Amino acid sequence: MFLGVDIGSSSSKAVILNNQREVLSTAVINTGTGTRGPEKAVATALEQAELITSDIEYTVVTGYGRITYDKADRQITEISCHGRGAFFLAPQAKTIIDIGGQDAKIIRLDNNGRIENFVMNEKCAAGTGRFLEVMARILDCGIGELSDLSLRTTKELAISSTCTVFAESEVISQLAAGAAKEDVAQGAHRSVANRIAGLAARIGVRQKVVMTGGVALNASMVACLAQEIGHEITVLPMSQVVGALGAALYAVES
Amino acid sequence: MKHLLSLIAELETAALNPIKTLKKTMDTSKKSAVGCFPYYTPDELVYAAGFIPVGLWGGQTDIKLADTYLQSFCCSIMRENMEQGMRGQYDFLSAIIIPTYCDTLKCICENWKVAVPQVPLIPMVYPQNRKIQAGIDYLVSEYKRVQEILEDLSGEKVTEESLASSFALYEEYRKAMREFTAMAVHYPITINAKTRQLIIKAAYFMDKKDYVPQLQELCRSLSALPYEKFAGKKVVMTGIMAEPAGLLDIFVQNNVAVAADDLADSSRQFRLESSRGNTVYEKMACRIADQCGCSLLFDAEKERGQLLVDLVKDTGSDGIVVAMMKFCDPEEFDYPIYKKELEAANIPILYLEIEQKMDSLEQIRTRVQSFIEMLG
Repeated sequence: MFLGVDIGSSSSKAVILNNQREVLSTAVINTGTGTRGPEKAVATALEQAELITSDIEYTVVTGYGRITYDKADRQITEISCHGRGAFFLAPQAKTIIDIGGQDAKIIRLDNNGRIENFVMNEKCAAGTGRFLEVMARILDCGIGELSDLSLRTTKELAISSTCTVFAESEVISQLAAGAAKEDVAQGAHRSVANRIAGLAARIGVRQKVVMTGGVALNASMVACLAQEIGHEITVLPMSQVVGALGAALYAVES
Repeated sequence: MKHLLSLIAELETAALNPIKTLKKTMDTSKKSAVGCFPYYTPDELVYAAGFIPVGLWGGQTDIKLADTYLQSFCCSIMRENMEQGMRGQYDFLSAIIIPTYCDTLKCICENWKVAVPQVPLIPMVYPQNRKIQAGIDYLVSEYKRVQEILEDLSGEKVTEESLASSFALYEEYRKAMREFTAMAVHYPITINAKTRQLIIKAAYFMDKKDYVPQLQELCRSLSALPYEKFAGKKVVMTGIMAEPAGLLDIFVQNNVAVAADDLADSSRQFRLESSRGNTVYEKMACRIADQCGCSLLFDAEKERGQLLVDLVKDTGSDGIVVAMMKFCDPEEFDYPIYKKELEAANIPILYLEIEQKMDSLEQIRTRVQSFIEMLG
């Protein structure tokens, strides 16, 4: 059995594969690097597959917390693992958009699934899941509700600040001036979409475009992004664990 | 090998301890020092006037005082230099020379006079139209003006002989640097990315009269060894500098060697040999006129892209790493132009946005490692 662990900034994911590359279990724990999240994710995945630690032949770790995780045989970056996982699930994929809790990545693949180019956001919360989390807090809703709220918009409202901290002040001012929460939520999604589209333009977007990462579960975000980049976006099944899946595939190949 | 390693360690130590190295240089030579801001300054004149020219390329100090003059969206090298000046860390310098290559450097001249009045400022204006005769004539007149100020400071006249001798020493230094960087390509394990940088950097704080023989001896010892087999990847670096300090450690950890560079604080300083001009002043001015591919020097032909393509091909490198100094307009303006040329030549590019002081390098680590994984 082969284990892939993806330790992000805000969540930990684990995937277990067998020799035939069949997924035996997946786990997502909503705490990331520096917490017990990785251990819990691995324990959950093992439990679901009815396995114990010694059943694992090889482990590959990826993600922001990969360097400090000492229970893996090998560490590989999340760029390579997302590329590998996405190609496995969608062999026609040429562009992968991954929006995580703390960073955003655009990865371009060639016809054989090899990474041609990639780009990441700079060290800033703009254009990441963190931006949406901050917006959800101001709008007094859960991160899971933000998408539905946004889809009920009736009026276009722009959030012009790129910086998350400035955007927070801007949104508070707009709410104080009577703006509807639904419109603000939609504005927040468009703000992230704008940022990601700008990033994607740096390396160019080619069909088929797929989206991975936790933010891919947000339907409003996917719609805004598709509109901004001018391409249809396919959300991969198991989008949240694509990085861990890629890591597990590397583990099988190792 | 032991001798070589000790020569390397000596220069690395000199680069890692700039103040200590400079104080030692000043004590040994019994000379005072003049600070030279980026990117090009007439170091030969400074030396001929009896001073040690010292390169001021920022540092890793926390910014507190400099915020008064240079906000967080200004070049981090200039913020660092201003901070250190305001903290009194440059008080031992007899003067500083600030050339006006970019908007920040232009503004900093006025700031310095108010913020660091205890360290005399010598501003220097370089001609935008550097290649035409009027530009060369103008630059010669600037050199002569700066020379007079330096003479007043030192009380020592710069003679034709002292200037010629200083220029010859600097030409020898530049030649030795070119030989070293050309040779280092073949020894990427002994002269890894970090070591290469430190050896180059040590020259900023040493008397060239002492540095050059040390470097030449290092090259002699190196050339006695067989070429090293290297399993990692070789890259060309371009930008202002390969800092913060931990950046090249990440290269070494990922088995990445710097085969050649187009960095403002490294090869751009020495890659051009003086080839024309009748007087020393003209030779100095022509070196500026003939320099190509530098974002800080107006280049109507935009030669940087081809220069980078050639560097990659000549050194058999696997790709280019762009060390983009945050908020450096001249470098940012060049990027889309040479990026297009590199892409047309199918050269993989890694773009890293850097500042001199970065608290976390984890994102850079992921980018470098991903780039290497992508290269296969």
